[in-house]
Amino acid sequence: MHERSLVQNLLRQVAEIVAAEGGGQVTEIHVQAGDLSGVEPLLFQTAFDDMVSAVFSSDCQLALEVVPVTAVCSQCGHQFEIVDFQFRCPACQVGSVRVIQGDEVTLISVTINSNNSIEGVAS
Amino acid sequence: MNQRTIVVQRDVQADQKADAAVERDRLGRRGTLVINLLSSPGAGKTTLLEATARHFAGRRKMAVLVGDLETDRDAQRLAPLVPVAQLTTGGACHLELPLVQRGLKALGDPDVDFLFIENVGNLVCPASHDLGEHLRVVLISTTEGDDKPGKYPKMFRTSQAMVITKLDLLPHVPFSVEAVTQDALRIQPELDVLSNCALDGSGIANWCDFLEQQYQQRLAKYHEPAGNR
Repeated sequence: MHERSLVQNLLRQVAEIVAAEGGGQVTEIHVQAGDLSGVEPLLFQTAFDDMVSAVFSSDCQLALEVVPVTAVCSQCGHQFEIVDFQFRCPACQVGSVRVIQGDEVTLISVTINSNNSIEGVAS
Repeated sequence: MNQRTIVVQRDVQADQKADAAVERDRLGRRGTLVINLLSSPGAGKTTLLEATARHFAGRRKMAVLVGDLETDRDAQRLAPLVPVAQLTTGGACHLELPLVQRGLKALGDPDVDFLFIENVGNLVCPASHDLGEHLRVVLISTTEGDDKPGKYPKMFRTSQAMVITKLDLLPHVPFSVEAVTQDALRIQPELDVLSNCALDGSGIANWCDFLEQQYQQRLAKYHEPAGNR
């Protein structure tokens, strides 16, 4: 159920970014959700569909990409993908590994249609 | 009409995580260890806190912020023992930092050694929210079944300790301490595993010793000379 609060947060951030860029119609929001982010993609999509029209046009699409969990071993430096939530280094069997991707929800990019030229926005 | 893509590459929860880090450091510098207690409903968080409060009475100062969807039943149970504020989420499935800060303010921001946050009973959503804790402890009771770590991996991955509760019921339920421990260690190999029965008090002294160790270990960095940090 916390997908709703994440989507609310996401939409607020996108609105701020678009405003800072001089406005425009948001057509796509690209998000990556890691396997360890605690996000269920279907629920996230449903919450987005439900809430997007309050902030942007209902034509605005969510491009949701699920990414695997990647970790790096603090002992031998081996980088590996976590499969079946086995958090032990397959190279040296050490249990002290650091997750470097896949434990968060990341706003990758926002696509907008605007009347401003790119130069106009940049100035 | 121009179409263009603005590259952001930012954690959606970055602001909340930064706020939580500020609160963690503020309380850590003051000498308060913040413990986020998580479990499914009925695993025994409040009962463990009652036993902890009795053990620490006269020795250590503690306060509790207790989260529930509705009612102040848990706060009423703890109120005779320790300063406690009930946080009612009004239906939300987890606590977030602003609610915790409101509770702390309601208690007058007490300068205690241990501040426990008893989260909403739920093994899913609370795992995704940093409340500014120094230590995250997940409880699992013997009546829940020993298959839970693998079913709720994020909760166990993000915790530093697991406490197996209701140990007195072990002879009556199909629960293997070995199996749950192995399953949890697969997900979080660095997890400290403890067990107790808060009703008869067994294992409580060990749990409180563990908290004392964590206090020393996790707050040490705030007391080192600035150059060593």
